[in-house]
Amino acid sequence: MQKFFSNRRLVVIFVLLILCFGLMAGSVALRNKKSTPTLIQQFGNDIVGFTNNVVSYPISGVKSGLNSVSELMNSYSENKTLKKQVSELAQVKVRDQTLADENSQLKKELKLQKSLTDYSTVTAAVISRTPSSWQSQIVISKGQTDGIRKNMPVLSQSGLIGRVSEVNKTNSKVELLSDSNESSNRFAIQIKTSTGDVVNGIITGYKKSTGQLIMGQVTSDADIKKNDKITTSGMGGVTPKGLYVGKVAKVGKDDYGLAKKIYITPATDYNDLSVVSVAEID
Amino acid sequence: MYRLSRMRFIFPIVLLLAFFLDGSLSSVFSSFLFSYPYSMVSHLVILWIVLGVIQEGRNTRVIPFTFFAAVIGFLFDTYYAGILGLFVFLFPLIVWVTRMLSKNFSPTFFNSIMIFFIDIALLELLNYIAYSIIGIASASFADFVLYTLAPTLALNLIYFVVFYVPISAVYEKYARLRS
Repeated sequence: MQKFFSNRRLVVIFVLLILCFGLMAGSVALRNKKSTPTLIQQFGNDIVGFTNNVVSYPISGVKSGLNSVSELMNSYSENKTLKKQVSELAQVKVRDQTLADENSQLKKELKLQKSLTDYSTVTAAVISRTPSSWQSQIVISKGQTDGIRKNMPVLSQSGLIGRVSEVNKTNSKVELLSDSNESSNRFAIQIKTSTGDVVNGIITGYKKSTGQLIMGQVTSDADIKKNDKITTSGMGGVTPKGLYVGKVAKVGKDDYGLAKKIYITPATDYNDLSVVSVAEID
Repeated sequence: MYRLSRMRFIFPIVLLLAFFLDGSLSSVFSSFLFSYPYSMVSHLVILWIVLGVIQEGRNTRVIPFTFFAAVIGFLFDTYYAGILGLFVFLFPLIVWVTRMLSKNFSPTFFNSIMIFFIDIALLELLNYIAYSIIGIASASFADFVLYTLAPTLALNLIYFVVFYVPISAVYEKYARLRS
């Protein structure tokens, strides 16, 4: 024991501890400020990401095989319900198209070049996920070379799932909305109530026990009901308007009873992602 | 000798494979591994390194474990976490702790699993402490023990039981001194 705490070793341990926390604090600060990580980090990540593609390919193959077997099991009952929906969907689609056409014509007449609802998407595969209980982060297979920038919103088929938190040349990290990290979860969203009112706010947190997003500090006295739809509001200029986030699950009071706290059932299961698309404003 | 042994190639390749498997398994089975409230963290990298270090006692030191642990820790930091400076120190620390412990115990199955248990618990504990200091983890200590530490230990001990025999056999076969 005496030998263990010899002077030299103590100094080395302290230097290592300081280095460790210095590096961590530094990289957290850098991550919040800069739009891309340092060159060495980027280079390393690109090489690792490339190799990861090779390894994750057979694994995702096995997974999709298993999935198709289980999907085959309940395809009959699903088919029945889907058939009903398809006939309705065709109508909606046609109407949607005419509305979109009309919209673009009207925009032309107004000489409105770009609006918040104009966005294009880049599709990417999920190649990995951070093996950690503290970070809900996935690695996707597109990066700077495909036009992805930091803070772009990321969607799955059915709705918003998170934002790009780090961009390398050929891959990038996405922080999911289920991450409890204090710097994530800040999407500007709005609720459209059944009476036509619009309530603005931001996503302030994630309730793990029920898997619901929280929209805090809502002071509006509009009549918000269960199942009202929630979309991004486009405020802030990074996120396009009208990305689907989820439905209202419950309206509660906040801790002091002054403002409303709205619980949102997300549109997507954050734990079942294989392909995502990154949205960028045109 | 290490220079001549095939382990020179096998060790880093399997290490990288384990590294990618950790991430891929977390991604593919995320609905199982991260279902509320439990979260299980896969540590195949640690399993591969620790079993090597335990076996090392029987042979001469042939693989530079600390060096490889630091390298894979760095990759872990930059590729998975995006926060530098934690695993690059934690993985070599685990190697050191394993060396200290395995000096005093014969490398039987039971002793090995105890050492691995201590390693994983230490790793998760230090990870939790460090991340709560810099504000990434926000769970209370009780929640950490119940919902992260216990399931993680369970998962990794299952890994250990499954992979102990094959991995030991690989080290046994290739990490020997070549006369």
